[in-house]
Amino acid sequence: MTRREGVSRRQILHLLGRSALFLPFLSLLRPRPAGAAGVAKRAIFFYFPDGVAGPSQEGDPSLWHAQGSETDFTLPAQLEPLTAHKGDCVFLNGLSMGPTDSGSHPGGAKKLLTAFDGGNGESIDQMLARTAGAQAPFRHVYLGAAANANNASGDKHISYPSPGQSITPEDNPRQAFEFLFGKGGSGGSSGAAGAGGAAGSAASGPDPVEVSVIDGLLDDMKELQGKLGDTEKSKLALHFESLRQAEKRIKSAGTPPVGAPPSCGSPSLDTAGFTDEQLGDPASFPAILRAQIDLMVLAMQCGLTQVGTIQASIHTSELIMSRFVGSEMYDPSFDMRSHQASHYGAAHDPQKREFTDFVKQGRWWVSQFAYLLDQLKSRPEDGGTMLDNSVVLLCTEVCDGNTHLHDNMPFVLAGGAGGAIKTGRLLSYDGLRHGGLHASIARSMGQMIGSFGDTPQGPLPGLLSG
Amino acid sequence: MLDPHDCTGRQPARVRSRLGLLLGASMLVALASACAGLGASAPDEAAGVDAGGSGPGAGGGGGDRASGAKLYGQLCASCHGQLGEGGVGKPIAGWTRGEAELVSIIDARMPTTDPSRCTGACAADVAAYILAELKGGAATCSEAPLLPRRLRLLSRREYEASVRDLLSAPGTSGAGGAGGATGTGGACKLDADCAIESESCVGGACAKDPCNLRTFVFSPGSKTYKSVHVAGDFNGWPATIGGGGWALGYVASKGIWAGKHVVDSGGHQYKLVLDEATWVVDPGNPKKSPDGFGGDNSVLDVACPAEGQPGGQGQPVGLPADLTKGFPVESRPKGFAFDDSADGGLVTSVHVDQYMKAASAIAAQALDGASALVPCQASTADAACAEALVRQLGRRAFRRPLAEPEVARYKALFGAQAAPESGLRVVLEVMLSSPHFLYRSELGEPQPDGTYRLTPYEIAGALSYQFWGTSPDPDLLLAAEQGDLSTPDGIEVQARRLLADPRSRAVAAAFALQWLGVERITGEVKSQLLFPTFEHATGVAMAEETSRFFTHVVFDGSHRLDELFTADYTFVDQPLAAFYGLPAPSGGAGQWGKVSLPPARRAGVLAHGSILGSYAHSDQTSPIRRGVFVRETLLCQPLGTPPPQAGGVPKVDPNATTRERFRQHTDNPVCKTCHQYIDPVGFGFEGFDAVGRPRDTEGGVAIDATGDLTDVERLGAGTHAAFDGLPQLAAALVSSEQLHACFALQYYRFAHGALEGPADACALQGIREAFDKSGHDVQELMVAVTRSPSFWGRK
Repeated sequence: MTRREGVSRRQILHLLGRSALFLPFLSLLRPRPAGAAGVAKRAIFFYFPDGVAGPSQEGDPSLWHAQGSETDFTLPAQLEPLTAHKGDCVFLNGLSMGPTDSGSHPGGAKKLLTAFDGGNGESIDQMLARTAGAQAPFRHVYLGAAANANNASGDKHISYPSPGQSITPEDNPRQAFEFLFGKGGSGGSSGAAGAGGAAGSAASGPDPVEVSVIDGLLDDMKELQGKLGDTEKSKLALHFESLRQAEKRIKSAGTPPVGAPPSCGSPSLDTAGFTDEQLGDPASFPAILRAQIDLMVLAMQCGLTQVGTIQASIHTSELIMSRFVGSEMYDPSFDMRSHQASHYGAAHDPQKREFTDFVKQGRWWVSQFAYLLDQLKSRPEDGGTMLDNSVVLLCTEVCDGNTHLHDNMPFVLAGGAGGAIKTGRLLSYDGLRHGGLHASIARSMGQMIGSFGDTPQGPLPGLLSG
Repeated sequence: MLDPHDCTGRQPARVRSRLGLLLGASMLVALASACAGLGASAPDEAAGVDAGGSGPGAGGGGGDRASGAKLYGQLCASCHGQLGEGGVGKPIAGWTRGEAELVSIIDARMPTTDPSRCTGACAADVAAYILAELKGGAATCSEAPLLPRRLRLLSRREYEASVRDLLSAPGTSGAGGAGGATGTGGACKLDADCAIESESCVGGACAKDPCNLRTFVFSPGSKTYKSVHVAGDFNGWPATIGGGGWALGYVASKGIWAGKHVVDSGGHQYKLVLDEATWVVDPGNPKKSPDGFGGDNSVLDVACPAEGQPGGQGQPVGLPADLTKGFPVESRPKGFAFDDSADGGLVTSVHVDQYMKAASAIAAQALDGASALVPCQASTADAACAEALVRQLGRRAFRRPLAEPEVARYKALFGAQAAPESGLRVVLEVMLSSPHFLYRSELGEPQPDGTYRLTPYEIAGALSYQFWGTSPDPDLLLAAEQGDLSTPDGIEVQARRLLADPRSRAVAAAFALQWLGVERITGEVKSQLLFPTFEHATGVAMAEETSRFFTHVVFDGSHRLDELFTADYTFVDQPLAAFYGLPAPSGGAGQWGKVSLPPARRAGVLAHGSILGSYAHSDQTSPIRRGVFVRETLLCQPLGTPPPQAGGVPKVDPNATTRERFRQHTDNPVCKTCHQYIDPVGFGFEGFDAVGRPRDTEGGVAIDATGDLTDVERLGAGTHAAFDGLPQLAAALVSSEQLHACFALQYYRFAHGALEGPADACALQGIREAFDKSGHDVQELMVAVTRSPSFWGRK
């Protein structure tokens, strides 16, 4: 089969729509664990690759970093898609990831969420999953779009459950949907539903077979752990924890839905139709990323998880963004890859295709982040919206795509975190370490830590309310 | 793989002038140091960093080795090598100039990309580690440290194979174990075109085939044939394929010839004809009858019921073809090409969910009554049946006999269920997603000297996964039980048995694709404007070509590594032959065959589309990726991290060849520090475009595929090997020691699921020697790995 280019967005939507997944029932909606404000808080980390059109080598001003005072500021070209969400965001200038490996994509990706040199620490998303999100059926959800392309090595992934060891995201929206919501539909406690998914049969109560299976597995695990030295024991810790989560889901099956909107009772998502071939096809990328965003929002809305990471592509990306139909980069006559464009040269040269494309690419990533915010904001909750109860971070592993420096990192924070964050501001930090940002995020999620990462940098001054 | 950080040095004019004034000096330093400060003119100082650096340093002694080991891996190894053997940076192993000087140099100047990164205690720790552990050469062998005890999570490939084997083998896998799939005989060793991976065939037909559709299989052993066909009373005994003989196709992944044909009911006699000349009985069919010429014909009795299912006992459990489709992909550490990283195997919630789902699906199938796995009627199972299941399946799933408390625990699980069927289901599901199944144990037993030694069962598992990628078969478990695996010779006997079995081919092919980094070709996206004939199926066929070629060389050809690079033939099917512009193989559509290559392509695997296309961009070739591939993958010469600010890939320019566009790399002294090692090698591939087709010109200009394989044995050595085109590059490679040493290292990484460390130095040396001694016989290398103490010793 020949891979086709030039498929219109409408065609894609049509294709997806026809084969969309619909799940008939979702019986295991959990009561949402209450945060301080009465509603669960969520944290989402949204990653895109290869930096932004920051300050150039030649000193051209950044096309990313907002300019102005704390409350009166303008958004440069690459942040334009956030104009409608200006009041929902905190634009952060001046944060540094430190000198180590500065200039390196992998070095940046390792530090990005861990704030540890070389990725030698737990990442903020995993730390929150273990703490703030521990009561949810799924502690952490890690979704990707072409984030395992070409057998990407571990230094391309940003979520670290243990020091030095990243995990891989799920790139297939269909698989992710089934994982989160279960297969359902077959009636009875079909074996295929397994422990996965918060959806099972409508029959009340846990399936005794599943309960026995998970008990047996936990026994085997404990027995094995008893034989191990510390290193291997720590390696099994995540496995053990994952079994415990499955145990919780299984043993509370049949708990009637509490607090979730009716739409969660029959979740559907335009995720079907992603064949392996499509998953690697750059023309499908926008639809896949959108499906993953939708899925993350749905999972959070339905109380299935409180902490998620969305990884769009990987650093030094070979994603041919000029094949995104309908985007401003679209050009069927020319293949422009993300990483290729990011090396636009020493100056912002409007005559250069790499540069103009790179600006557009950055804008496109930001528009996807804006879409995520749209979705959160369009869902009313507890007198406000989901966005009011969430903290969402937009991040990439280097600042300027050409210089690769790890200073003045392009972070944008969004959402009120249940009142913990006052948005609509521009904050500048003169070289403070980004571990402080993660510490602030942790605090906004109710985790009162002093610092995060391998520096003593505490929460960023002025970021959190009160 | 090094990121394709192509360094063109092209800057707009206004930029260049300002650059010189504002940033010139500091940027040049940054760029040069990112390439590890190794200029072309750097003198070759063995076992030492630069002279000088005589400052007092941060004190001597007292560094923390363990911390130093970690830091060395992060900060130093990419340039100086995992073992301090050198790379882009100088060799550091066997340092003789004293600790104070070493500390001082690290403190002040290392790593060159960021000297502030490792000062004070860091420098002391790293120095302590280097002095204590990186001794270089054979010095460490007498006190060889060992790999740590560990658990190794099954990769998707291993999980899938293990599960299928557990379910398709007869349940009687106890000591005795004659019933397993062993040896090479048996007409139904595998199922040629009935979806080889998902079905097995029984009694001459695939289980799902109609009764009269028979599968013929011929295992050529170590011999090579051009053709095999079936001739008998059903087709008029034709001596040739052209005369109506039923041609069998060669299935490289299994190393057998196979084909299926409809045979009418009744008794038939037939023979196999090799190379249209040699008539033999079907060695896989025990039924014979005298042929009247002093020999035998094979006998095939086909008795099909009017409307019936194919009969047969012990049918395999039907499993979904995409059993592991939803499993998370394996995390591969940087620099580690394989899917079996021991460190990377972390089990997340997604894993647990997928394991349990798969186990549930498998159990449902197994209890369907079709499997011999369950030794009784599920609906009337009693405790004795459950115990038999636990002991039999447990022994194979956990790759060891179960301990009595384990048996008791599983029996209790069975007993706790309301219905016997549920009880069996729980037992099956727990067993198939138990950590004892999912992790291969390398924990060992304590030895008097404080080290550990793998148990015989663990050794059986290690052998089985290395060669077959699956659970040990009954013979291997029996060998473990009988104590046959306690000596290197005993291990070797089993290693050779596994290697001789066709099942070793699939793993060898998987190794090859991963080693060469060409799995990606199956998903490669190329410019449809420039390469409209490159389709998804083309990439898939290219991977198949490399699989078939590699297994042919290793199992059917000379077995020698060199043949991989010098072969004047390859394997193609018709579409791939047409794509490459090669003559079509004999046989019809869908048939793969060996074809000889035109002179320009006689470079073995180097001229495979899988490599040429994987190491290229979507719209142009990449001498950089191809050059880095040779350095890092084939020669194990890592080039470190590319510098920032290096500029992008030069645009496709209809008026210049790729080579001209990249000339800046070697004209610009900054770029040259690294690219002198990359581009002159990568240019040798220029006779092939970005999808692996030959080309004589680019943009109307004749292709120049000359190059120089400098410093092939060691970066910085100052040697040259000029060549023109791939065959000459291949010749230069096979005449180097480093190609062979690197291959041994790569296979060792695959077998051990880890990048090498000082603990492996001694083992690697012994393995390389054995490999050299064998004339670089790849099979001998595979066996040598199992004879090394690193195979069974742990700490």
